Amino acid sequence: MPDSGYPWPISTTRLDNGLRVVVSEDRTAPAVAVNLWYDVGSRHEPAGQTGFAHLFEHLMFEGSVNVAKTEHMKLVQGAGGSLNATTNPDRTNYFETVPAEHLELALWLEADRMGGLVPALTQETLDNQRDVVKNERRQRYENVPYGDAWLRLLPLLYPPGHPYHHATIGSMADLNAADLATFQAFHQTYYAPNNAVLTVVGDATADEVVALADKYFGAIPPRPDIPSAPDGRMVPATGVPAEETVVTDVPAPRVYLAHRTYPFGSPGYDVVTVLATVLGSGRGSRLYQRLADGERIAQPDLVGAYGVDLAHAPAPLIATATARPGVGGERLAAGLAEVVDELATVPVTAAELDRAKALLSTAWWRQMSTVDGRADTLGRYATQFGDPATVAERLPAWLAVTADQIAEAAAEVLAADRVTLTYLPEEDQ
Amino acid sequence: MTLIADRPGPGAARPYRFPQVVRRSVAGGQVVAAHLPGQNLAVALLLLDAGAGREPVGKEGLGGVLAKALEEGTARRDATAYALAIEALGTELVTALDWDTFQASVQVPVDRLGAAVELLAEAVRTPRLDPDDVRRVRDDEATALRMDWANPGPRADAVLRADLFGVDNRWGRPMYGDPASVAALDVEDVTVFHSEWFIRPGTLVVAGDLDRIDLDALAATAFAGAGGGPVDRGAPIEVPLHAGRRIILVDRPGSVQSTLRLGHPAPHRAHPDHVPIALAGTVLGGAFTSRLNHLIREVRGYTYGIRGDFASSRRFGRFAVSSGVQTAVTAPALVEAVGEIARTQAGGVTEDELAVARSWRAGQLSVELQSPRAIAGALTTLVVHDLPDDYHARLREALLAADVAQVSAAAATHLHPESMTLVIEGDAALIRDELVVTELGEVIDATP
Repeated sequence: MPDSGYPWPISTTRLDNGLRVVVSEDRTAPAVAVNLWYDVGSRHEPAGQTGFAHLFEHLMFEGSVNVAKTEHMKLVQGAGGSLNATTNPDRTNYFETVPAEHLELALWLEADRMGGLVPALTQETLDNQRDVVKNERRQRYENVPYGDAWLRLLPLLYPPGHPYHHATIGSMADLNAADLATFQAFHQTYYAPNNAVLTVVGDATADEVVALADKYFGAIPPRPDIPSAPDGRMVPATGVPAEETVVTDVPAPRVYLAHRTYPFGSPGYDVVTVLATVLGSGRGSRLYQRLADGERIAQPDLVGAYGVDLAHAPAPLIATATARPGVGGERLAAGLAEVVDELATVPVTAAELDRAKALLSTAWWRQMSTVDGRADTLGRYATQFGDPATVAERLPAWLAVTADQIAEAAAEVLAADRVTLTYLPEEDQ
Repeated sequence: MTLIADRPGPGAARPYRFPQVVRRSVAGGQVVAAHLPGQNLAVALLLLDAGAGREPVGKEGLGGVLAKALEEGTARRDATAYALAIEALGTELVTALDWDTFQASVQVPVDRLGAAVELLAEAVRTPRLDPDDVRRVRDDEATALRMDWANPGPRADAVLRADLFGVDNRWGRPMYGDPASVAALDVEDVTVFHSEWFIRPGTLVVAGDLDRIDLDALAATAFAGAGGGPVDRGAPIEVPLHAGRRIILVDRPGSVQSTLRLGHPAPHRAHPDHVPIALAGTVLGGAFTSRLNHLIREVRGYTYGIRGDFASSRRFGRFAVSSGVQTAVTAPALVEAVGEIARTQAGGVTEDELAVARSWRAGQLSVELQSPRAIAGALTTLVVHDLPDDYHARLREALLAADVAQVSAAAATHLHPESMTLVIEGDAALIRDELVVTELGEVIDATP
């Protein structure tokens, strides 16, 4: 058993303006990953402004005081780099991996949009990216069967007013109502150096990176009063199951069964991570063995379980199955619930536990096998737990989970407040 | 506040090196490996000449069904025991199929690679293929394809492919088959395909820390019991262009977006223009900064994204553009996309655009080829296309050396905007009349 999930050096520095700079040197390949985590996500959005954090992420690629519109992408790709950004309920991350000689360019670009976005932001840019995001919503959520499952699960799991109640993509109505002043204020409020972590992994030394970070980011002023998101840690139990059935144009019945568990990073969530793997990862998992093989009521490629790694409130555990032809939604839902419930009553065997831990180990090392995977992980641990070095603890924590702990966690979280979302094809009605 | 206004230039370029490649002949098969010192994870991949191109016409999807059937038990153990054994090592059996190859691979911590390759070989060489299991897997695969085909895209892809290459040819039908072709397969199709193509030795590709890997032992395991030699892989296929442009409309009632698939035949992989063709494709549609994405997404806001590229296998290739656009702007998006392709064909590329494209493609070699999985993929390219060990280094040089004249010539020669097939999958009742008005070509309704 490894005593560390992170056998590379980690150096952490805080600039005078509060920007944390994390560096992990690795000379294996002539490439560097540059990654910024901003501690702002859709959990910060008030009612009427859903989707704003994500739409804002798009605006960050549209130019800043010293970078013309469309130039950001062109400069990174023209340097041979890969780049992207994502927004989720917890945070927004921006990242590029470039050949090592272009490290300084990447830092300059990130500093310019951290410190100089607002003067470059125009109504035309906002209108264009609003249309792009609305098309993203159509493409990913509206135009594909079951595409809106996540949008439906969140309000069933989290009550109105909870920071995870609404989905990151937001509503069309709110997106339509977005005005320029709101986005200018959004940047001034949250895109401050003391609300961000800059991580660089790869072919660069810590001294070199810190000096460059100070050169490019050092003059950006901190913001003293960054508002926090509503606290979502305590979610009162309702004591009643929540069920929703959607009859629509889908090719087969599908059931999602979901629970709130524990926040990502807590010991309880480590147990849930192993539990989810026992339950729903691979052909040796309980769901596959029982529903896809065994009873043969579920389609083999579409059965599974996973935790959604959210850190600021009890994170969801989701199990799902899609019916084989001739199997109805009710039978599928009953079969799925039975296997999930048995986690509390049928002890996990040593073989099941070893299988889950082996799969998790490989998944962990796969994430660590690239500089960009490592950079994003360090940024997460620095942002969410205050110390990037805690990254080393996650894999050992998974490997230390016992069968008893899984049974206890199952008894505690799988008994309460179950959410069941069922899709049924129109012709079945 | 003082931001630094001047954009920094690059530091000293650091040398790019593809990992050291080791090739061996062992136990009747070939081994191609890359040394990744210090890497904890390793990948082993068995590459067989059993791609979709080997499937008989009318039997599309055979390789996919066989791939799934491999895990339904072996001569040694049943399906459950097999799943538990391989997953206890931390890997699943990952299978993949393209026109040229069938691939089965494992990814594990390096000390478990030997055990994982034993299980890989056990499934590929000695699957049980019990008739009841094969029939069930076939039905599951047909169902899985029906699920997939409920999404926008697969029907449009199939219509485009059939129109470019001819539905009477295997390469004019979907690579993974369609729900009907898979449902019509029988047990004997699967067992015959296995005995014909899955017991030839093939090539074992390994990416990992070779100081901790015994390649000869892995190869002996992978090739044990294999027999039969290589089979002629066939010459490149001449695919004629259409005389004119046409629009084929695939109805998807209620669709909030229209799915665009625009394309024409293009050169096979070994064509001497491969590098300039790839760069022309990159400038036109291959990157976020490409002409198509700039115009259709960043200027017009019609889409979340639009991509276009040249793709090629050993025997044929195609140019294709794909996107999903809001229903209401289907016709203008199509007109503008075709216009941009025509402009690129007629006017070529600029030095500014090409500078981005060539550095991006060259830089991607050092940026993207990091993980054992990515390196194994690069090694398969060497094997499938008979390329030398220093191919990636040479490719980098060729990309960086390509000039505007070469790439513009490739665009002029290999783009055919007047012969394109424009497949639109969307709500026909809402978009048909507008498509007719564009006069881009005759509008044909696809038969369901």
